[in-house]
Amino acid sequence: MKVWISSKEKKPMGLDQSPNARHSLQSRIPKNCHHWTLTRSEFPAVASSSKTAVNRRPNPRRPPTAYCCREISRLAPPNSPPDPASLVVAIPDSQTRPGARTLEEIQKKVTMGLVDSSGDLSGEMEVDAFRRLFPLRYYERHLAESIRPDGRTLGMARDTTLALGAVSSADGSALTKIGSTTMLAAIKMEVMTPSAESPDEGCIAIEFHMPPICSPIVRPGRPAEAAVVESKRLSDTILRTIWLVFCSSGMINLKELALVSGKAAWMAYLDIYCLDADGALFDAALLSAVAAFSHLQIPVVSLNDKGKIVAFTEEGDTVGKLEKEAVNKEKRKLTLGNIPFSLTCALHKKHILADPSSEEESIMETLVTVVMDSSDRLVSFYKPGGALAYTSLVTDCVRLTRQRMKELEKILDEAFSGMEVD
Amino acid sequence: MANFSTGDRKRKPKGDRRSTEISLVIRQTMEACILTHLMPRSQIDIYVQVLQADGGTRSACINAATLALADAGIPMRDLVTSCSSGYLNSTPLLDLNYLEDSAGGPDVTVGFLPKLDRVTLLQMDAKLPVDIVENVMQLAIEGCKAIATYIREVLLENTKQLEYRRGL
Repeated sequence: MKVWISSKEKKPMGLDQSPNARHSLQSRIPKNCHHWTLTRSEFPAVASSSKTAVNRRPNPRRPPTAYCCREISRLAPPNSPPDPASLVVAIPDSQTRPGARTLEEIQKKVTMGLVDSSGDLSGEMEVDAFRRLFPLRYYERHLAESIRPDGRTLGMARDTTLALGAVSSADGSALTKIGSTTMLAAIKMEVMTPSAESPDEGCIAIEFHMPPICSPIVRPGRPAEAAVVESKRLSDTILRTIWLVFCSSGMINLKELALVSGKAAWMAYLDIYCLDADGALFDAALLSAVAAFSHLQIPVVSLNDKGKIVAFTEEGDTVGKLEKEAVNKEKRKLTLGNIPFSLTCALHKKHILADPSSEEESIMETLVTVVMDSSDRLVSFYKPGGALAYTSLVTDCVRLTRQRMKELEKILDEAFSGMEVD
Repeated sequence: MANFSTGDRKRKPKGDRRSTEISLVIRQTMEACILTHLMPRSQIDIYVQVLQADGGTRSACINAATLALADAGIPMRDLVTSCSSGYLNSTPLLDLNYLEDSAGGPDVTVGFLPKLDRVTLLQMDAKLPVDIVENVMQLAIEGCKAIATYIREVLLENTKQLEYRRGL
């Protein structure tokens, strides 16, 4: 869903006027692109002498008040694009222009906000170009209206779906989708000997994988670039935080994973696979891990005469099989304490965007992740550097997380009741 | 292959021999079929992630790769479909699952180009009498044709959806 901002309001949307900004603007347009620059003060002059205006360079003695550039190669601009004074489009040399057009004509068309369907494609191309070249400006225009390019309000998260039991060969599994971000978590249980200092406790081992299928920045082979380092950092953070969240928030009581004190206990291997990375990876990973643990059914085992735990097989006859006693009487589920839910927010100047997509995450430098549990306690607050922010940020983010938690609780309950019906 | 995809949890899912072999097989099958001369100086990476392995993993990977390539718009000679079959208790069986596969009978995997009516991949392990091989292979080819029909339907449906969304 595209959201168009009407260009009727006269916002002073000029580009930065400082020389530094100009330099950075120049450096962002690739060298082999030919671009025209016109100053705002020169518009009336341009309108009158159309042919020569296009190639006029800014007067070096007078610093330009604003940069603007237009190259609209087709007719029919879209129904309400950004102000052409701020639209900068770089066209590669090879593309030819059909003919010179006056800026006035174009501005008129643009400000009239024509609705057309035939030129839709060219309109899309311009906006797309603007979005690629100047993503921050594109977003700022939207944020000024308190909306985001995909139509969400600032505090709204994307559609979340949850499917339990996605992998039938695993003891517990869940597939989560938040928007396009897809995570698959699965748990397999194995028996191990518990450590000497905690003979009554089981263990959880968590692994987070980002296979190359999830994102073009993840490549197999030697990790040499920042992008792969980023995914490694992400997976470490996710692992560490999920581990802490599970153990410290009291969601899982490790004593439940015990079998025979001192001899055997369960080891739960949780593997989380990212199948599609589109922002808010931690949220999706935590949700899928929580759902997988809720879905987990501990398999039935028995202690055989050698003192080893084996999988329990249903034996029809009970004569003389007394040594094979089931240690677990039946498949049971873990009892979970307070369930943690999380929300990642991106910060930009004064705006807080909940549940950013990967595009938003890449342009906004500051990300905050808040984890709260269902008893309304704050479990974790994570803000790794980024821009300086006021302390009121903490309360705002916690408020947004609380709202999100209610949504997520509902989704989790629905998924469960759906499963039980089957 | 995912850690949890097989019965016992895998320790090292990446470098193990089975994954490498399946990767090689998929690569060679696809190379024969993709019109690489139309895309010079470019590399096509196919990533397949197995979420659950219950027999016929190789075939599923090849079918998935075909669909992904068609979705990406990469020019191919034909759709590559694949199916596996086996022979247990003197009966040829189509599409063995994990239990049937582990029974020790032969497992034949066939990669087939339906329109061109050619076989690109043929793999078999375990022993099988020569006169039975033909039967089992024919059965697998029938399976491939059925899959090809289904794949074609799905792609057609997908293209219609794209057309509709584009407003054509």
